[in-house]
Amino acid sequence: MPARKKPIRLLTNKTCKEITDLIFGYLNDTLNPAVKRDFERHLRICPDCVNFLNTYRKTAATSASLPSEAMPVKVRENILEFLRNRIRRRSLNS
Amino acid sequence: MLAYSSMTAQNLSTPGVISTLELPCAATSPESSLRSKARHKGDDAELVERLKTGDEEALEVVFNRYSAKLYNVTQKILGEVADVEEVIQDVFWTAFRNAKSFRGISQFSTWLYRLTINAALGKIRRSKKSKETEYEEYLPKFQKDGHHSVRPVIDWSDTLDEKYAECELRQLLSDALDQLKPLDKSVVILSDMEEWSDKEIAVMLGLTVSAVKTRLHRARLVLRGKLAVQLGHSAA
Repeated sequence: MPARKKPIRLLTNKTCKEITDLIFGYLNDTLNPAVKRDFERHLRICPDCVNFLNTYRKTAATSASLPSEAMPVKVRENILEFLRNRIRRRSLNS
Repeated sequence: MLAYSSMTAQNLSTPGVISTLELPCAATSPESSLRSKARHKGDDAELVERLKTGDEEALEVVFNRYSAKLYNVTQKILGEVADVEEVIQDVFWTAFRNAKSFRGISQFSTWLYRLTINAALGKIRRSKKSKETEYEEYLPKFQKDGHHSVRPVIDWSDTLDEKYAECELRQLLSDALDQLKPLDKSVVILSDMEEWSDKEIAVMLGLTVSAVKTRLHRARLVLRGKLAVQLGHSAA
């Protein structure tokens, strides 16, 4: 008797919603290999999810590129002065 | 003599305004331990001991080491320079006064960030100035079968740079950030901008690692949705 054929594997067994939930893990490379394979298999056939991933990635990259806010010299001086005054006052009280 | 607000003086004398609660140290990944080394882990232990004895010079060293980073984070959370100044001065004063309560369970830098974020979030709560918007409108939507509800999904990742000058784009994102829930905004700032690990952020914010990941993902989805809408596309 001939061996029973394995069922044809679906091209993807994840929905777009599930893929969206997995994006975070995919970008952090924390998906387990089987899930990552499913994720990438879905991307090969779903341009919507590819586009969604690109825009999600772009959003994260843009927020990462926001420049640091430098502390104004005046603010720095104010804070140091505040701390020195506090310490001085505490020494006087003790 | 420099002036400081009565609010500040009140905060300093009110126990619990800035929580000094120390949570356990995050297990560090290779990546985060590299960063930790860069953040003076070794030197901090000695500094903390000096702070505990009331050494003023140690406070100045701590200030020089961390004030710029803490200022940046607080500025991004609060926006108003006067508010930021108040928070930063309270944090360093609290760290000096309560150094003895630091037991080394977490890293000293993590403790300082925790004090800072708590103080900044407390200030938002008290002022009730939060501009947060409903997330639902900006989150992706799906049909019952799991497909995107609005198709095709447009890839605007390249047009974003074409349409907006760099400074405009940053302003757009900055405005969008301001509309996140303050805690979510803090997670985005600490993760995407300050590059702390999820574990370290969890310790700073008193959340589980899983909650940090969930909040970060949701916040990014909302920011993405806001940028999409700004470009004339569907957030879905």
